[in-house]
Amino acid sequence: MSKDGSAFAYPMVLAEAAKWARKNSLWPMPFGTSCCGIEMMAVLGSHYDLSRFGAEVVRFSPRQADLLLVAGTITTKMAPVLRTIYDQMLEPKWVIAMGACSSSGGIFDTYSVLQGIDEIMPVDVYVPGCPPIPEGVIHAVIHLQNIIDGNIDRVPAEKPTHEDAMNAMLYRKPMTKDIASSWRVTQQGIVPGTRKE
Amino acid sequence: MGNAYAENAPFMKRQTELVSRLNQKYLQGGLSEGRKLEFDKLNEPIIWVRDGKDLITLIKMLQHDDACMLDYLSSLTAYDNKDKVDGLKRFVVVYNLFSTTKHVRLRIKLAVDLEESAPTLTTIWPAANWLEREVWDMFGIKFDGHPNLRRIMMDERFTGHPLRKEYPIKQREPFADNIPFHLGPNPLPKSEKL
Repeated sequence: MSKDGSAFAYPMVLAEAAKWARKNSLWPMPFGTSCCGIEMMAVLGSHYDLSRFGAEVVRFSPRQADLLLVAGTITTKMAPVLRTIYDQMLEPKWVIAMGACSSSGGIFDTYSVLQGIDEIMPVDVYVPGCPPIPEGVIHAVIHLQNIIDGNIDRVPAEKPTHEDAMNAMLYRKPMTKDIASSWRVTQQGIVPGTRKE
Repeated sequence: MGNAYAENAPFMKRQTELVSRLNQKYLQGGLSEGRKLEFDKLNEPIIWVRDGKDLITLIKMLQHDDACMLDYLSSLTAYDNKDKVDGLKRFVVVYNLFSTTKHVRLRIKLAVDLEESAPTLTTIWPAANWLEREVWDMFGIKFDGHPNLRRIMMDERFTGHPLRKEYPIKQREPFADNIPFHLGPNPLPKSEKL
């Protein structure tokens, strides 16, 4: 801006600059509740060094963070706490679900564990692994930078429906009419359909 | 295994002395009727007590016995005996005791039925407070005389006791908010207690 208030840069250029600044200074709010938290420390440490991607300034206050890095098992009792932290973060904000537990509940399909944090908040990037290797987390951060840049669309995270899950487990293309007539997805699982040859 | 035993020889010797002492003093005579001594696969002694009253008497005696001095509660837990492997009663409460001076270990087991309750050990060891709350939370075993018997791990609005065998393992009860954090002996209103 010049002294009389008139803009010397075009809004388009400003938007690009804002994107560039945001993607290269992602301040993560770490939420490490189990072994993934240890791996996250390795990512932030000097060996893997997340600061190469501008995301090393770990803020333990949600007001100062852009990126919520959920690493670990979230119990149903912890879920309201996590949701509060997400609500306290200022826009724009992004979420990475690191590891099997925060993505889907992992092996803890029990009475006390939330089956994936996408039940309570939108998730941008899921990192598979138990725990994920540090390279996986770095890949997630780079992927998130691409999302912020606009190269990849920001898809709102939705919990897959029962049918989606069944499709994923079939190891084949999503159900077309042809396949759907030979197999039927019900609440009980996949049952042979009534296709007349 | 041989080496492990050789390394643990002094401990095994102490444990043998403990067992002979228990046999002499606590497992014979009219007062100790109904108590039973058994050994697990690692040859560690286990005493089955007759009932809750007997448990308190035995623990108080063991605490001040010169040869045992079992003055430390290592852990307090329970297990569901639904398949009736260990007697006819539904639950078994397990007390692991340790002596800080004699360095011996002893396990005491108390069988508790569905409608029965166990005596509290908070009068002897204040540390039993939270452990008994955990047992109550997970199994629903009541402890008589406990100062603050409410859930410790699950939400206080949770129904059922998840470590009971009949509890469906995937039955979740998520709540949209947390109850306010509170400490103290009995912060909840009387109507909400238990």
